[in-house]
Amino acid sequence: MPHWLTVPVWITLLLFGCVLWRIVAERRGYPMPSKRTRILLTLLAFVAVFASFRTINGVEAGSALLMVMVALKFLEASSHRDQVVLTIVAYFVVFASLIDQQSIFIGAYLLVFVFVTTAGLLQIGRRGALRPVRATFALTGRMLLQAVPVMLALFVLFPRLSAPLWALPNDPQRAATGLSDSMTPGDITELAQSDEVAFRVEFVGEPPPPEALYWRGPVLSAFDGRRWSRTWAGPRVRRGDIEYLGEPTEYHVTLEPNDRGWTFALDLPREWSGVDGMTMADDYQLVVALRRGVAPHRQYRVVSHTRYLALDPLSDRQRAVLTRLPEGSNPRTLALVRGWRERGLDDDGVIDEALRMFREQPFRYTLTPPRLGTDSVDEFLFETRAGFCGHYASAFAVMMRAAGVPARVVTGYQGGELNAFRDHYTVRQSDAHAWAEVWLEGRGWTRVDPTAAVASERIELGAAASVRGRAASDFDFVRTLRFAWDALDVYWYSWVIGYGETRQRMLLERLGLDFATPALLSAAAIGAVAAIIALLAAYHGFAQRGRERKDPALRAFAAFCRRLARCGIAPPRIGETPTAFATRAERERPDLGAAIQQIAAAYVRARYEPDADGRALERLERLVRLFRPPRRGAPASRGTRCPANARASG
Amino acid sequence: MSVVSRRFADWIRRRQGPDGAVVTLERRRIYILPTGLGAAFGCMLFAMLLGSMNYATSLGFALTFLLAGLALVTLHECHNDLLGIEVRYAGAPPVFAGQHVRFDIALTNTASVPRYELELRAAESEAGPVDIGPGRTAVLALSVPTVRRGRLRLPRFSVATRHPANLCRAWTYVHMNAECIVYPAPAAPGTPPPFGADDSGGRSAVDRSDADFAGLRAAVPGDPPGRIAWKAYARSDELLLKQFAGGERQAEIFRWSALPDVDTEERLSILARWCLDAATADRSFGLELPSTFVPVGSGEQHLHRCLTALALFDADEPDEVPS
Repeated sequence: MPHWLTVPVWITLLLFGCVLWRIVAERRGYPMPSKRTRILLTLLAFVAVFASFRTINGVEAGSALLMVMVALKFLEASSHRDQVVLTIVAYFVVFASLIDQQSIFIGAYLLVFVFVTTAGLLQIGRRGALRPVRATFALTGRMLLQAVPVMLALFVLFPRLSAPLWALPNDPQRAATGLSDSMTPGDITELAQSDEVAFRVEFVGEPPPPEALYWRGPVLSAFDGRRWSRTWAGPRVRRGDIEYLGEPTEYHVTLEPNDRGWTFALDLPREWSGVDGMTMADDYQLVVALRRGVAPHRQYRVVSHTRYLALDPLSDRQRAVLTRLPEGSNPRTLALVRGWRERGLDDDGVIDEALRMFREQPFRYTLTPPRLGTDSVDEFLFETRAGFCGHYASAFAVMMRAAGVPARVVTGYQGGELNAFRDHYTVRQSDAHAWAEVWLEGRGWTRVDPTAAVASERIELGAAASVRGRAASDFDFVRTLRFAWDALDVYWYSWVIGYGETRQRMLLERLGLDFATPALLSAAAIGAVAAIIALLAAYHGFAQRGRERKDPALRAFAAFCRRLARCGIAPPRIGETPTAFATRAERERPDLGAAIQQIAAAYVRARYEPDADGRALERLERLVRLFRPPRRGAPASRGTRCPANARASG
Repeated sequence: MSVVSRRFADWIRRRQGPDGAVVTLERRRIYILPTGLGAAFGCMLFAMLLGSMNYATSLGFALTFLLAGLALVTLHECHNDLLGIEVRYAGAPPVFAGQHVRFDIALTNTASVPRYELELRAAESEAGPVDIGPGRTAVLALSVPTVRRGRLRLPRFSVATRHPANLCRAWTYVHMNAECIVYPAPAAPGTPPPFGADDSGGRSAVDRSDADFAGLRAAVPGDPPGRIAWKAYARSDELLLKQFAGGERQAEIFRWSALPDVDTEERLSILARWCLDAATADRSFGLELPSTFVPVGSGEQHLHRCLTALALFDADEPDEVPS
């Protein structure tokens, strides 16, 4: 079960242990533990789960508990009923595991699991002698194949909600992925080596050039000498008006889940939609207030402008906070920058001077920088001179602050890889980046990327390429495979996993069905399922009837009996010959007597003395077709359908 | 049977109408409902649906809908498993009151695919489950307890299946117009038939020398063909049986009037006992009841005729099975 990835190890061990115990006991005939032992074990398991999670409520603890129960159930599942319960619980356990794992592998695993469990269900539900395993698998496969259209119809049409029905308490033990809340140069090293996908972007229209692809993430404004962090106990920076310049860029983002409610958008977003409660924070990052226990949002649409004026009105206190450096740290840097100021350089001059320093002195870009001590910026600027974006952004921001220019570090991603199979960009963890923002009079917050001064190809080609160089050709087989896989993955995420309210609406719009309300959608879903079942039924009926081996004479006679039954003559009794039946019928309906006798005789001939060319059968069928007795009580009809007519044609 | 289920049964009966000797199961008479397991499965699906909606997990939706599809397919398979089955009454050997009647029901699969787990159920008895291959027929016996002599009508029974996963049960009710003869329970052995040719007429002994021609009587089915008077048949067009006195040691007539002070059922039981004993001893005997006379004869068929006469003596309408 995929739970193995998330539950504590002891639960996995317990499960294996119980299953093994069961198998060994079955083979060797050992007794199963007594009822008292089982109760004791169950209580212990409860306590253990509680000890592991500090709760028995919530998704993770709940599914852990479920797993424990499954494990223990193996120790007692003896009756038919127990096996049935076990099967149902097994379905539920795998369902619970889907809440936080949805990769394409999990999808494949799910199929296998459903197949095996369903085979189990069919075998358990079998009454009478057990089927051979292969027959069971064949039946399972056939039934699941028939179930797939129903699944697809419901999946597409079932109305999706944008808000949850209720929220479960959140689990305390979730590990965070992606960027972190703080940055100490060295922190991003790990991310830079990770090929995991952070998010994917589909541009509507022309994408901006690579050097403009700055995906804004958390902004770090507090510096303690080594570490930049997000939170500080200062006054809030009020967000000012933003003046958007240039052409807007519209795009859709499909986010890999992160647990912090972070979203990433092109610097700087103007409009956004698709996720309830998405707002722009004071530092211009798009954030979503995470509701407890709610699966994180996945897809949203943004319109950004890559050129803008972000004119925050800074108060003196805010200015003080944004230029604050810890007392006595990085003295050499401070001295250097003060020297520039003493030379009479203004803000722009200081920025240029700093960038020129990076460019002209032997700084180098590396993903494996040496370790830095307490005065990390001093060491970096004057000794090691090797580092990656974090080092440069950090050092640059410190230099700016030393010059009295409000500055902060922005983390996020830069660039992205264009997938050749599908027109979208994949942004990986290795594209994580950090740059600096300085506040300039009249221009507001301005982005400065010091890394670009050192390694411009980092911005144009991405972190990995800037280290490796562009050795791999575009026709590289592995690269092609990776693109293909990535394209598949995008489909998976955007059309399977990310298929929610937004995608559903998009799809419906594309189909011209955007007027569909949830009620209409439900009706459509039900209708589609009914249609599928009707098709299945029709197919089966056809397949069966095509080869049915019923005697046509018998069928004709049965139709005849049905018609007689409608006018009150009971069908043939057990052991009553057709002739005897006809006699009885004639007694009851003398008016139809002749026709009845005629048909009975024709039936006897067709069934018991059939001729080679089927004349007798033809005659019987014609007689029956023409036999339309009037109901009892109705005046004896003289119309074309009266029995006399049948006689005449016979 | 409660009032509700009785009324339901009546409604079903009205709805379906009477059935003939062969019933082909069609759509409109097949009913289907989830079993307990099916209900549990449904609850699970509902819980999964709520969970998927709440956590907006697409794979959860996918799993839920796949299983829902599976449940629907199961429903359909189950219904299909019964569709087109031919149900035929295959007879019921007569029994004595107090024994169980075995109504044989033949199920024929006329389709080209096998049918699984078919079972029969009447008020208190069940038969099956049985799998039937394409074109094959399986005979299942419904065993029904009897209380009284007379005719016992085949009770309403159901043909059902829970194939393929025991998630639902499809069934149909069959009301066949068939009945079984229930002989009177034979009295305990002990009351010997009164012997002697007195006027009260316990039994009359025919005492002739060996191989003497004793006369002719009307032949009945089951009589040995070698003793049919074929010449007489040629003359009169009537089947007559030659009777000989010597081969059949003693022919006796058991008479109703021989037991004057016993109540009707008791009398019938005693007469049944006499007939049985005589048949076991391979003696010829006849039976005289106020309404019926069975001439002297012997053999299995003859015994059946006598016991049937006893069973149907003054019998009312066929007995419905107590339910």
